[in-house]
Amino acid sequence: MEFAIISALNGVIYGLLLFMVSAGLTLIFGMMGVLNFAHASFYMLGAYVAYTLSSLVGFWAGLLVAPLVVGLVGLLVERYLLRRIHAFGHAHELLLTFGLALIFEELVKLFYGDFPVNYQMPDNLRFAAFTVFGTDYPFYRLFIGGVALAMFLVLYLLLSRTRIGIVVRAAERLPSMAEALGHNIPLVFMSVFGAGAALAGLGGAVAGAFFPTNPNMALELGVIVFVVVVVGGLGSLKGSLVASLLIGLFSSFAVGIDWSLASLFDLVGLGPWARSLGGLMTMTVSSISGTIPFVLMLVVLLVRPAGLMGERS
Amino acid sequence: MSPPVSPSVRTPLLLALVLALLIGLPPFLDLGLQNALVNVLIAGLFALAFNLLVGQAGLLSFGHAAYFGIGAFATLHLMRAVEDGLAFPTPLLPLAGAAAGLAVGAVAGFFATLRSGVYFALVTLAIAELFHSLAPHWEGLFGGEAGLSSMRMPWGGLIFGSTLEVYYLALGWVTLSVWLLWAYTRTPFGRLTLALRDNEQRVRFLGYDAHATKVIVFAISAMFSGVAGALQAISNETANYSLFSAHVSAGVVLNTFVGGSTVFFGPALGAAAFTLFDHLVSDLTRSWQLYQGLIFVLVMLFAPGGIGGIVQHHLRHRRQLDWSRLAGPYALAGLGGALVAAGMVFMIESLSVLFGEGYAVLRRDAGGGHPPFEAFGAQWDPAGPLTWGLPLALFLAGLFLIARARRDIAALWESVRSAPAGRPAGRGPEASARSAPSGSPS
Amino acid sequence: MKSLAAVAILSVGAALAVPAHADPLKIGIIESLSGAQTSTGRLFAAGVQYGVKDINAKGGFNGEPVEVVEYDNAGGSTGAADKFKQAVADGVNIVVQGASSAIAGQITEDVRKHNLRNPGKEIIFINVGAEAMALTGEKCHFYHFRYTTTAPMRVNALVKAMKAAGDLGTRVYSLNQNYSWGQDMQAAIEAAAPMGGYKVVGEVLHDVNKIQDFSPFVAKIKEANPDTVITGNWSNDLLLLMKATGDAGLKVRFGTAFLDQPGNIANAGETALGHYIANNYDNAAGDAAFAEDYKKVMGHYPLFVEPQTVFAMKSLQLALAKLDFHGGAIDTTKIALALEDTTYDSPVGPISVRKADHQTIRPVVVSKVVKDPKYPADGTDLGFAPVSVVPGAEAIYPVQSSCEMKRPS
Repeated sequence: MEFAIISALNGVIYGLLLFMVSAGLTLIFGMMGVLNFAHASFYMLGAYVAYTLSSLVGFWAGLLVAPLVVGLVGLLVERYLLRRIHAFGHAHELLLTFGLALIFEELVKLFYGDFPVNYQMPDNLRFAAFTVFGTDYPFYRLFIGGVALAMFLVLYLLLSRTRIGIVVRAAERLPSMAEALGHNIPLVFMSVFGAGAALAGLGGAVAGAFFPTNPNMALELGVIVFVVVVVGGLGSLKGSLVASLLIGLFSSFAVGIDWSLASLFDLVGLGPWARSLGGLMTMTVSSISGTIPFVLMLVVLLVRPAGLMGERS
Repeated sequence: MSPPVSPSVRTPLLLALVLALLIGLPPFLDLGLQNALVNVLIAGLFALAFNLLVGQAGLLSFGHAAYFGIGAFATLHLMRAVEDGLAFPTPLLPLAGAAAGLAVGAVAGFFATLRSGVYFALVTLAIAELFHSLAPHWEGLFGGEAGLSSMRMPWGGLIFGSTLEVYYLALGWVTLSVWLLWAYTRTPFGRLTLALRDNEQRVRFLGYDAHATKVIVFAISAMFSGVAGALQAISNETANYSLFSAHVSAGVVLNTFVGGSTVFFGPALGAAAFTLFDHLVSDLTRSWQLYQGLIFVLVMLFAPGGIGGIVQHHLRHRRQLDWSRLAGPYALAGLGGALVAAGMVFMIESLSVLFGEGYAVLRRDAGGGHPPFEAFGAQWDPAGPLTWGLPLALFLAGLFLIARARRDIAALWESVRSAPAGRPAGRGPEASARSAPSGSPS
Repeated sequence: MKSLAAVAILSVGAALAVPAHADPLKIGIIESLSGAQTSTGRLFAAGVQYGVKDINAKGGFNGEPVEVVEYDNAGGSTGAADKFKQAVADGVNIVVQGASSAIAGQITEDVRKHNLRNPGKEIIFINVGAEAMALTGEKCHFYHFRYTTTAPMRVNALVKAMKAAGDLGTRVYSLNQNYSWGQDMQAAIEAAAPMGGYKVVGEVLHDVNKIQDFSPFVAKIKEANPDTVITGNWSNDLLLLMKATGDAGLKVRFGTAFLDQPGNIANAGETALGHYIANNYDNAAGDAAFAEDYKKVMGHYPLFVEPQTVFAMKSLQLALAKLDFHGGAIDTTKIALALEDTTYDSPVGPISVRKADHQTIRPVVVSKVVKDPKYPADGTDLGFAPVSVVPGAEAIYPVQSSCEMKRPS
């Protein structure tokens, strides 16, 4: 019970963090058809920029400015790199973002070294929010979740209730029609790309103070974020939220699950036979918790490429 | 000038020359270079196999490490069996990699090719990650975290102990595989895959099964990737789960596109260039991967056809081009490129020294100040104008030269462009040269 | 086929062409000098450099200064295999490596194969940090020497000392990394249960240096309600575990193997107080002269894996002193035989090689994190205070039956 409650809390918060990063990715894909391999790099940049700023101007200022800096980088990437090669097709855009991801990772290593940097939350945020079953629950975890939720609300309202939202959605569905109506579609694309990068940057700035800030964080999160976006449905914001929570809860609970395929066979009395086979049969869920998201992603891609909530495939 | 030789004669001649060099040269090289050449062969074959999929069928895979790794593991299992007494000729070991690559590739390809475009790329990525995350936990098949290791057994009077023997084994297999890959593109079926890339709808209307065709191409590509993996297993006598990592998948993408995916030998060119550079440079600079990424992005931006694309483009138009007038601007552009590169390298290396651990120790010993640092055999003051002015000046001067040369080159190519050109796939430098000033190719 | 045969002859010819002039002794460090484990790799390299400086200050070997070449294995065994080949090409006589048992597994196999194929040109592998049992078990061979402890040595010493101090309790949780080293630790923790009078209340083997958030594991530990958690985790896996434990306010004592890795104490802060470590060395347990001299030469007190690396170099120095090749070709088999018969008196006790498996018999130091120690760690006011020094004869375990070492004839 105790494990279940703590794990559920941790899972939801990790899920919300995943959502913060995947929201931008899914928006960009929905609109521009570009699967941005460099997106998780924006998350990493956010953490490093915030780390640098926090030592100069303090934690809170860093938290606010880092997303702006990362968003600006995103704008520049779209305007001067992606747009240039748009004519060569999606494959080239994909490859370009892929190269950018490499460059960002190496630049971070160049300036900050290979090890985690000591990016810490301020001491006045370092306290236990509440205690369940004698275990302190850190306030900062709730803070991460809160920021993500606030972001989702703002984004949702912006897209559904404002004029900007209408233009963005129009540009997503029928770019040529929206352009004919006099909207500056390249500008919309650029802004969405920048905004998506800024969101990922915010995610990094918030989460980097809790999880380690290291040059591998983009690679580690990057693949999982792809899983989230695919499972949720490329281009679907709500789908991303659901998928993020799903993956978050799963990774949190998987640690405590000792089932294996063989225990499935136990149900029909074939357990000992399955165990004698070894290999895949006896691997526990906890030991292959890293594998299951990819299985999920594969199944979704093959069975329902539109994802849980996507409208198109 | 000698009488013009037709390209159909010249290409085999050139290939024969390359092959003769590959056969004759290595015994005279030092052991380190021999090793590097083995790696070149393996990376070259892997890139060519990968390009069968992307260049021929237009399917961009981001998980080709899976088939490379499978080939390596299958070969190691066979090697272990041989070590335990199985009578299997050592030179034929890569057959295990080929078989495993083909089998796994057929299954993975069946599913992956159900999707196209980005979704295809995502499926391949997920499959590779599946292997990467599963392998460290699967003791029996992949040897767990540590992986498997074995030893090459002597066979038929050959010991297979020296690097040179491994090199010739690899050379034999790579030559055979490359010839098969090339022959494949000449078969009617190979032509069909090309048509598939250009217009899938049409292929279907002609009565061909597009999915089956793609599965076969995928499986063949995986098979040759498996051979490359097998050669790596034979060379290193070991394999562990890191063979499945995203870095391996990324490496082959980089090699292929920098080399040029539209030209048959382009990917091998890219693989050879990067592997040799890696061998020469990786112990000199810690920023090698950064340079690799920069080169890749620059190629994507300015020469989407890669090195091979540029070469091919020039070969195609060699009759129409006025080489005597081009030579000047090309030399200028080359000089400009060298200056830009020098400026960049200077800047990056200085930064990597300044932000490195060694300099942190220097600073501590100097009591927190900024002592001069050493780079390129000289002392530099971190706050000195020369330290940053020099690379910047090199960089800007290079840019200026390139801009000037580009105008002339674009004008010269303009005259060629009006003459009938080949298919648009081989976009040469002129495409970007023209579009660059406006900033938005339309 | 013909060309292949010709090649075989050529390669044999090349192998026979032994250079006539006197070669210096070459030591190749194949370490993680880039990638996530760089900091550890650097420390091993520093230990070697310090040791070799002393050898060279006393006249080098074979009439030449000993040469040290550093190779970056980029933190992976594929890189290590590649760099080993380069080291062979460069004529290295002795390979030194320490970070990661997976990489050591690769190198020791490569060395074994190289020596089989190149009789008379053998290479010695001095393992200064890889602790997987297999390296002196099924993978053992004559040219591999392990100058560090193993899991049973660390766990047994830890359990004894913690029990004696009344800090062990009766419920122990085993949390380790899922590869050879972590699995050895888990086995050793299970095996030491009767001796320590405890029950293993939970066991976890998790992914190596991939986990960002240890709180699910902390929740699992909490549920099992142990008195002590024994872990062989190192690097990020230890740091994040301590951090998550601190955040959750979990009151449990840790018995560790690598808590002294730079950065751990600074990151864990006060939550580290009272935790234990079983280690090769502790500056406070040994001799101030060594610590001061190291600081004079290298700029800091010996840290983490540096002392054990230095002791390995000292043993090598003693072995070399027994040999003289008169400026001729270096016979590494003679060096290996001399190493077998060398005992180095380290500041905490003698270190000698067990001939049957080339595991060193060496003392194990158990320390506890305290406030205001003699040698503060990471610039904090915390550090280690030795609790006990278990002598080598007491710490060692029987030779593994899986080791079948073939000695040179």
